[in-house]
Amino acid sequence: MRTRAAAVAAVLLVLAVAGCSGDSSSPSPQAGPSAAGPAAAGPGKTPDTSCNPRASLRPKKALPKPGAMPAGTYMRTIQDRGRLVLGTGQDLLLFSSRNPFTGQIEGFDVDMGKQIAEAIFGDASKIQIKVVPYNQRVAAVDKEKPAERVDLVANTLTANCARWKDIDFSTIYYDAAKKVLVSANSEFRGMDDLGGKKVCAAVGSTSYDGIVAAPSKPIPVGRPTFGDCLVAFQQNEVDAITTDDAILAGLAAQDPFVKVVGPPLSAEPYGMAISKKHPEFTEFVNAVLEKNRKNGTWKRTYDEWLHDLGPAPDPPAAQYRADR
Amino acid sequence: MSTAQLDRAAPTVAPAPGGVLHRVGRLRRTSPGRLQLVLALLLALGLLTGLVAGVTAASARAGTDDLGERAQPLLVEAETIYSALADADTTAAQAFLAGGLEPAELTRRYEADLDRATTALTSAARRTPADGPAAEAIGKLSADIPRYAGLVASARANNRQGLPVGASYLATASRLSRESLQPQAQALFRSAQREVDAGYSDARSSWWTALLVILLLALLATLVYAQRHLSRTTRRTFNIPLVAATGVTLLLTLTTAVILAGQRSHLASADADGSEPVAKLAEARILALRERGDEALTLAARAGEGEQEKDFDETSRKLTGLLGTLDREPDSAVADAVDAATRGHGDYGIAHDKVRELDNGGSYDDAVKLAIGPATTNAFTSLTDGLGQGLENRKALFTDEIDVAGRGLGSLTVLGPLLALVLCVLATAGIRARLEEYR
Repeated sequence: MRTRAAAVAAVLLVLAVAGCSGDSSSPSPQAGPSAAGPAAAGPGKTPDTSCNPRASLRPKKALPKPGAMPAGTYMRTIQDRGRLVLGTGQDLLLFSSRNPFTGQIEGFDVDMGKQIAEAIFGDASKIQIKVVPYNQRVAAVDKEKPAERVDLVANTLTANCARWKDIDFSTIYYDAAKKVLVSANSEFRGMDDLGGKKVCAAVGSTSYDGIVAAPSKPIPVGRPTFGDCLVAFQQNEVDAITTDDAILAGLAAQDPFVKVVGPPLSAEPYGMAISKKHPEFTEFVNAVLEKNRKNGTWKRTYDEWLHDLGPAPDPPAAQYRADR
Repeated sequence: MSTAQLDRAAPTVAPAPGGVLHRVGRLRRTSPGRLQLVLALLLALGLLTGLVAGVTAASARAGTDDLGERAQPLLVEAETIYSALADADTTAAQAFLAGGLEPAELTRRYEADLDRATTALTSAARRTPADGPAAEAIGKLSADIPRYAGLVASARANNRQGLPVGASYLATASRLSRESLQPQAQALFRSAQREVDAGYSDARSSWWTALLVILLLALLATLVYAQRHLSRTTRRTFNIPLVAATGVTLLLTLTTAVILAGQRSHLASADADGSEPVAKLAEARILALRERGDEALTLAARAGEGEQEKDFDETSRKLTGLLGTLDREPDSAVADAVDAATRGHGDYGIAHDKVRELDNGGSYDDAVKLAIGPATTNAFTSLTDGLGQGLENRKALFTDEIDVAGRGLGSLTVLGPLLALVLCVLATAGIRARLEEYR
């Protein structure tokens, strides 16, 4: 217990002193010398550009064989437990949604998690799916109680500097862009036309902050999930839904009377969230992603779930932090 | 200021009160005057007693009828609305958990729940005055139940097409049920409970009864005084009409006492053996359904143990306590039903712990299978069935007791004034005969 705490402290210290520029305003005020850095403006209002959110930890070792995780690593903890606990959603068609016929949760995000389980156990089915509320996606990897904690969150979670302060992200596994979903017969062409209109997003998502910050001043409406936003939209409680094009595509696939419009409002690179307490697991995940980018697994997964969005592009290239 | 003014003022002020008092005072000094006074007093008391006896009986009867035909049925209906809505919510969540096409049995159960809720709501609306918290709750329920049904219907339609937004519709419906429908039904239940309490005090009509007792005592005392006075001033020991009047008064007193005491004793047992256990059993059934709903929603959310599971623990504790107090019911049929319910609750608790263990251990599919499987369902059903049997038994007892309590009050409404009239006639006859002697 004590050694683990020491390791955590060491990691925190490394991040605080030598971390990327974004970590200059780490949560503990006495840790960083540059509290007057750009991030001091506070999260939410202006985008935090103090770091490169796409850059993750570079894998230091080759991937261990499935079922033979090195002792003392977090992967070993997972292996000993017998299953990987993945935090995700159950209402984002294409990424992670409950198949009403089978009751199973499936999608692109779920497959990302399954590929990690495959790398640990040699068996993709050794995975426990736990649904994480949208506003708990970052906190879920660091919950106090083991029953509430998850190993990994893959849930259309945008890697950004504000979140990097609390958790580590894997390298980027999907590039999304924020757009707007409106009624098929409406004249709205994007967020700029939605001034004074009700626009829905999941509480705790960057999309919600985006509505608040939009210059056209739409009225933000928060719902627990984007599925609930679609319900609100179909019940005429809101005029539009804004979030990443990939999620909107999943919503649009369920309602022929909507369209996705607008120029990309912002780039939303998706990464998997992992606790800062075990950087070796982040490195492991990055190594798995790297392997799957190269051997075509990523493209196959894309084609399986996201073929409606067009032919599979090249996977997002991995970027690593200079200091690691 | 002069003395002449004072002298003139005195006679103009004095006549009004002084005149009557003076005349009464003068009457008291003569024997026939005294008899006239006694007669007046007897007539006044007799008529007043008759009136109050009628009013007391009418008020007690109206109170008893209101209790039996309005307040208590309203309580039962409020419970029906609450438990039907809670059961509908749970059933919808279980159908969702089952995956695939929802089982026909669960669909039927959901439809039946909704039917029960709307039927009970319609008749509850008839029993509720136009304003007040109960009417407000009924208004909100009437508006929200169709909305709820619409959301569930959309959930089903989407589910049939394999669209995951169906799950979101169901979650929205469930939120509406838990955040608006069930609290409104609970508000209605509480207000019905208050109305039942008020109903008992109306049915007892304690103020009228107290007034009646005072009047009867005063009447008897006056009759006794009149007879003693007559036997002293005349040579006759007994004045037959006045003795008869005393008999009539005693008869009236006795009849009133028997009818009102009977009514009160039946009211007391309707309350203690009917209303009280009915309220407790109804509350227990609501708690049981809440437990089952919490379990299903925890699994449907698939997010591990959250608020719902905490609510389950709290609800379970409350239910165990309530079943403990119900266990002391003296009636053996009810005690058996409560025993069966308690056993069912124990079995269900064990099954639930197993479900949580499986889910927490990562075996979600097995947890769902166990939760909606026959073993857990049977344990839970024996809990709700036990409570339902107890409830029906106590409801029947309440109806019987209230019927008996209301019996006789109607005849007292007529008999009271009638006996009082007879009494007045007798009193007049008795004293008029003596007065004639002074002419």
